[in-house]
Amino acid sequence: MDSKWSRRTGSLLLLLVSNLLLCKSTASLPICPSGAVNCQVSLRDLFDRAVILSHHIHKLSSEMFNEFDKRYTQGRGFITKAINSCHTSSLSTPEDKEQAQQIHHEDLLNMVLRVLPSWNDPLYHLVTEVRGMQEAPDAILSKAIEIEEQNRRLLEGMEKIVGQVHPGIKENEIYSVWSGLPSLQMADEDARLFAFYNLLHCLRRDSHKIDNYLKLLKCRIIYDSNC
Amino acid sequence: MDLWQLLLTVALAGSSDAFSGSEDSSGKPKFTKCRSPELETFSCHWTDGVHHGLKSPGSVQLFYIRRNTQEWTQEWKECPDYVSAGENSCYFNSSYTSIWIPYCIKLTNNGGMVDQKCFSVEEIVQPDPPIGLNWTLLNVSLTGIHADIQVRWEPPPNADVQKGWIVLEYELQYKEVNETQWKMMDPVLSTSVPVYSLRLDKEYEVRVRSRQRSSEKYGEFSEVLYVTLPQMSPFTCEEDFRFPWFLIIIFGIFGLTVMLFVFIFSKQQRIKMLILPPVPVPKIKGIDPDLLKEGKLEEVNTILAIQDSYKPEFYNDDSWVEFIELDIDDPDEKTEGSDTDRLLSNSHQKSLSVLAAKDDDSGRTSCYEPDILENDFNASDGCDGNSEVAQPQRLKGEADLLCLDQKNQNNSPYHDVSPAAQQPEVVLAEEDKPRPLLTGEIESTLQAAPSQLSNPNSLANIDFYAQVSDITPAGSVVLSPGQKNKAGNSQCDAHPEVVSLCQTNFIMDNAYFCEADAKKCIAVAPHVDVESRVEPSFNQEDIYITTESLTTTAERSGTAEDAPGSEMPVPDYTSIHLVQSPQGLVLNAATLPLPDKEFLSSCGYVSTDQLNKILP
Repeated sequence: MDSKWSRRTGSLLLLLVSNLLLCKSTASLPICPSGAVNCQVSLRDLFDRAVILSHHIHKLSSEMFNEFDKRYTQGRGFITKAINSCHTSSLSTPEDKEQAQQIHHEDLLNMVLRVLPSWNDPLYHLVTEVRGMQEAPDAILSKAIEIEEQNRRLLEGMEKIVGQVHPGIKENEIYSVWSGLPSLQMADEDARLFAFYNLLHCLRRDSHKIDNYLKLLKCRIIYDSNC
Repeated sequence: MDLWQLLLTVALAGSSDAFSGSEDSSGKPKFTKCRSPELETFSCHWTDGVHHGLKSPGSVQLFYIRRNTQEWTQEWKECPDYVSAGENSCYFNSSYTSIWIPYCIKLTNNGGMVDQKCFSVEEIVQPDPPIGLNWTLLNVSLTGIHADIQVRWEPPPNADVQKGWIVLEYELQYKEVNETQWKMMDPVLSTSVPVYSLRLDKEYEVRVRSRQRSSEKYGEFSEVLYVTLPQMSPFTCEEDFRFPWFLIIIFGIFGLTVMLFVFIFSKQQRIKMLILPPVPVPKIKGIDPDLLKEGKLEEVNTILAIQDSYKPEFYNDDSWVEFIELDIDDPDEKTEGSDTDRLLSNSHQKSLSVLAAKDDDSGRTSCYEPDILENDFNASDGCDGNSEVAQPQRLKGEADLLCLDQKNQNNSPYHDVSPAAQQPEVVLAEEDKPRPLLTGEIESTLQAAPSQLSNPNSLANIDFYAQVSDITPAGSVVLSPGQKNKAGNSQCDAHPEVVSLCQTNFIMDNAYFCEADAKKCIAVAPHVDVESRVEPSFNQEDIYITTESLTTTAERSGTAEDAPGSEMPVPDYTSIHLVQSPQGLVLNAATLPLPDKEFLSSCGYVSTDQLNKILP
C-alpha cells in the first residue's frame, strides 16, 4: 500500500503542478481537470484507501472507548454527566444527511481537512498520557498509537485527494485548537478519568463523522451517487 | 350458588392482590430502547408503568434536550411525535434529528422525572431487516447428495446505501428445518452470499440481519426464507460412505496373528532371527570371566587397557584431549609407583600373557597379531591405521616410543618409516584436516629419532602430562606426537645428529615440514645416542609439558640452533597451558625465537607462525 502511495505521489505532484500552471480560476472544476483516464482511476484508488483508513480509525476508536469505559468508568454514569463538547464542535460541519447532501463536495473535503489536523495534537498527548497512566493498559495504548499514525496517513491521503479534485484550493490552515491537556494531567483521579472519557468519546464521534463524510464523498464522486 | 360466589370472590381478591402487588413493585416507566434505523431518524421506547385504572393515562411525557455547538439549549422540549413509533414511544423525524450531537431525554410522570438517558444518534443505529430474500441453485455435487445455493436480498429500504450515507454489513444464518441451532456465516458487505454443501433431501431455513458497519448491534432478522432443494436422483447413494472400520480392524488383527504364528513356529531360523532377534548376552570382549571371579583386577585392567575398543578413546586429536597426570614426587617413587611404569614395564609381561587369554568374540582379532605394530605416531583409530601403516613398522611386540624398553629393537623399524611418511594423510585418519602433513612430519622426525628411552627412570622422573595416544599390545604406552617428540628428542636417542644433518635443508621457521625434508632426515641412518638432554627441563616440576616447552628445552639442549627447527615439534596444542613451575615455559609457537629465514620451504607450505611474522 505504501508503494502505492509513493507511486501516486509522483503522478499527483505532476498533475498538481500542471494544473496549477494551467488552471488559475478557483471556480468549481470538474473532478479531474486534466480529464485523463489515469486521473479517474487513481482518484478511485485514493478514495478506496482513504475510506479503508477512516473505517479502521473509527473501529479502533470504538474499541478503545469501550475498553476504557469497561475498565475505568463503567457504571459511573459519566455519560449522563453533561457530555462536554468536543473541541471540534466549533467547526461547522453538516449534521445530517440533508445538510451533507446540499454542501458541495469541495467544501466537504475542506471540512474533513479541518477536522483531521485538529486531532494531531490531542492524539499525540493521548498517547503520552495513556503511557503515563498507572498500569498503562496495553490494549488502549497500542490502539492510541495506531490511531495517531493512521490519522496522519489519512490526512496525507486527503491532501492528495484534494490536490486532485480541487487543485486550485488555497491551503486554509483552519483547525481547532485543543486545550484539554491540563485536564488530562489533573491530580484528581476522577476528574482525570472524566477528561479521558470525554476525549475518547469525542474521538469516537469525530472518527465516525469523518468516516461517514468520506463514504458519502466516495459514492458521490466516484460512483455518482450509486454505490 | 354460594360455592360459586365464594370461588369468584376469592378469585377476584387474588387477582386484585396480584395486581396491586405488581403495581407496587414496578410502577415507574423506564426507557427500554432508543433506536435509529437509518441514521436519519430515531425513536425511543419505554415501558409503561402498570396503569391502574384510577390514574390518568398519558401522563407520561418525554422531554429532550440537545446540545448546539457549545452549549445545551436552555429548555427541555417535548417529544414531537408520540404516535408514529407506536405506543409508549417517541419518534423524532429527520428535522429533529442531528447526528453527532448529544441528546438527553427524560421521562416524566406527572411532572416528576422517572428516567433519563443521554446518547448520540450514531451510537444507537440498528438497521431494519433486509428484504427480498431469494435463492438460486448454483450447482449440484457429482454424487448428487449436496448442492450449493446463492442467497440474495435487498438492503432495508429506508437505509440510504446508494448515496453512501450508511454502510451496512449482513449476517446470514441457516439451518435445517427440524434443527434448533442456527448456523452463522461471517458478516459480508455484499447483498448476496453463497451457501455451500446443503443436502438435497433436506429443507432449510435462511434468514439475514444487518448492522451498521463498525457497530456492534444487529438489527432484527429478516423473514425466514425456505429453501427446498430438488429431490435427489434415485441412483445416488442412499447413505454416506462410512469407512468400514470394523472390517479393517478384524482383518488386521487376523492378519497380524497369522503372521505372528508363522514366524514363531517357522523353521526358518533366519527369518526368526530377523523378526525376533535373540537378546545378546552382555559380554566384555576379551575378558575371561574367570579373571573377574578370581579377583585379578590388574590383569583385567590391563586387558581393558589394551583392548581395541579403548584405542579411540585414548587417542583423540580433537579439541578435548585427555591428559594423564603423573604425580611423581620422588625419583624412587616414580620408578615404582608411577602409572607409567605400571603400565609399561610391570604389566608388560603380564599383558603378553594375558593377551594369550581368551579373546573370543572380539571382532578385531587381527589387531592382536603380535607382529603388527600399532601405529604409534598418529591418531589412527583402531586397526585401520595400523593395517595401513604398520606393516613397515613391525615392532615385535615391544614397540615403545617412550623408549622405556631397553631393548633397542626399534632402530630398524624406523628406517622403514619413509613409506609411512609418505602416507601421512592416510595414517592420520582422525587428525585435524589442516595438519595432515604435520603429523607426517612428526612421524618422520620421530621415526628418525627412534624413541628409546635408555632410562626408564629418567622418564619416570619426569613430571609431565602426556597424552596417551595408544597402548600397544605389548603394553607400552604410546604418547601423542608432541610428547613423543620431546621424549624422542631428549630421552630416547633421538638422534640429534641425524636431525642436525637435516637442518640445513629445513626452514627453521617452519613449524611444518615437508615430506621431502623429512625424508632427508630419515634417510640418514639414525644413530641414537643417549645424550644428556634437556634433563633439567624434565626435572622441572612442570605439571604440563607442552610442545612449546619441549621446543624450548630442545633448544636449550645444546643442539644446534637449527636443531630445534627440525626437532621442533609441531605443536599439537597451540594454546597456552598452565604451568605451575617457575621454570616451566609455555610458549606459543609464534614466540619461539626462531631465526628469521625464508619461509618458503621446499614444499611450499607456510606455517601460521611464519605467516604472522611476515604479515604485519
